[in-house]
Amino acid sequence: METNRLQKNITENVWLWLVKIIAGLGIVIFLTIHFIVNHLVAPEGLLSYADILRYYSNPIVPIMEAGFLIFAVVHSLLGLRSIILDLNPSTKVMRFVNPLLIAVGSASIIYGLWLLLVLVQRASL
Amino acid sequence: MNDTIWTIELKIFRQRADAQRYFQTFQIEINPDEYVLDAIEKVWAFHDRSLTFRHACHHSTCGACGMLVNGIEKLTCITSIRSVTQNNGKLLIEPLRNFPVLSDLVVDTSSMFKALEEIGFNQVASLPSACLPYERKTLEHERSEYQRLVDCIECGMCISACPVSLTDSNYLGPAVLAAAHDASSQPLSNKILEIVDSRDGLWRCHNAFECSAVCPSNVEPGLRIMKMRQTVIAHRIKKLFSRG
Amino acid sequence: MNINKPSPSHLWRWFDPRDKSIGTIAFIINRLSAIGLTIYLFLHLAVLSKLVAGSQAYDDFLILAKSPAIKIGEMFVIAGGIIHGLNGIRITINSLGFLLKIQNGLLVGLMIIALAAIVYFAIRMFSGA
Ligand code: SF4
Ligand code: FES
Repeated sequence: METNRLQKNITENVWLWLVKIIAGLGIVIFLTIHFIVNHLVAPEGLLSYADILRYYSNPIVPIMEAGFLIFAVVHSLLGLRSIILDLNPSTKVMRFVNPLLIAVGSASIIYGLWLLLVLVQRASL
Repeated sequence: MNDTIWTIELKIFRQRADAQRYFQTFQIEINPDEYVLDAIEKVWAFHDRSLTFRHACHHSTCGACGMLVNGIEKLTCITSIRSVTQNNGKLLIEPLRNFPVLSDLVVDTSSMFKALEEIGFNQVASLPSACLPYERKTLEHERSEYQRLVDCIECGMCISACPVSLTDSNYLGPAVLAAAHDASSQPLSNKILEIVDSRDGLWRCHNAFECSAVCPSNVEPGLRIMKMRQTVIAHRIKKLFSRG
Repeated sequence: MNINKPSPSHLWRWFDPRDKSIGTIAFIINRLSAIGLTIYLFLHLAVLSKLVAGSQAYDDFLILAKSPAIKIGEMFVIAGGIIHGLNGIRITINSLGFLLKIQNGLLVGLMIIALAAIVYFAIRMFSGA
């Protein structure tokens, strides 16, 4: 509000906000399903590596975990960006923060999906 | 008003320009049905003529007298002594937060006025757009040729209470976003859209609703920010599909 | 120095609930849980690499994970997740223009649900089940 120049070069807008909200709601939904599935598929809990492999042999599990992974990473990093924006960073700082968040987000998702694939593969052996 | 007299202690924030700030304490006698602004005027009239503070209308219309009373934003001309302290009690008087102090209790709210100007804030609006959405339902004359003064008195208290305005001087803040909602009851203009759907706009609010808690004039800025979000989301989504 | 100007250095005051309404408490808890959950998410991803290392490494890790300190930590994650999630639902509902007249009540109601859910999970977790 300091000036009448809007800070146009770094954006925050309805789409970014909606992605954050939809990812957040996705997390809530997936977590709920996660607890229900856990309860049904593994009522005793996942107490060992073998349990986890058995758990992953059910196809709904990796799909659910993949969705959860993507939503959680996207939501947390967009949320982190909101907090950073509240600290009124300069355009220069944001030009560094934006690609950094994209890089961290993509790397985490790729790494998480790879983990999932390894588990699914081992579970199917 | 009866003729009870209370003795109270006022601890007042003092600061000249960028000099060191300090607190100064004054004892005064006052009728508890008088207002906090009257107490401050008494200090100025009988104890220290150098004390500076803003006031004009003394009836909650000009928005000049917003201050922190015991840490909470109050329009001091309508805040009775009785409602904020007791006999032999204390009052802590500070300037509004999130605006630079010019002198003692006077803060520089020009940033808010500039932003209001930019958004096209108008003191007069059509009846339905001046009212809150839920008040519209009870309107007898919903016809838009009727006009009235809008509720916001530009006191800046909502901005003082806002946690986002605390750290980001570029955030438009509740008063300005509420004014945008006011102005957008007519078809949403591109100009308003560009201002509110931006880095400094609507999406930066984190729903603490402190603005609505302190607003003395029934603007409910928090509610209006949310309504404005609804409007912008609907507008952008509609646009997306009408283009495609 | 003019302490009143908005400044990023005031960020500690985000977490000061004095003289504020209940909405600020929600804001504070939301922000703290956001930071906590983000740290947890990335720690969790890192720890899961143990799964790939194979059965022995992971089972060793699971024994460690049963220690009371880790369990209490996990309880914090669950509590933070529940509160953050339900508060997020409030923000979504309000931002779509609904229940604005009762937003305070909505917050209180959701937090009561959160408390009940946290107690349920705490009992399940610490009853040895
Ligand atoms: S919205 Fe309310 S608190 Fe904010 S400036 Fe207007 S009257 Fe004051
Ligand atoms: S003096 Fe005008 S609003 Fe208080």
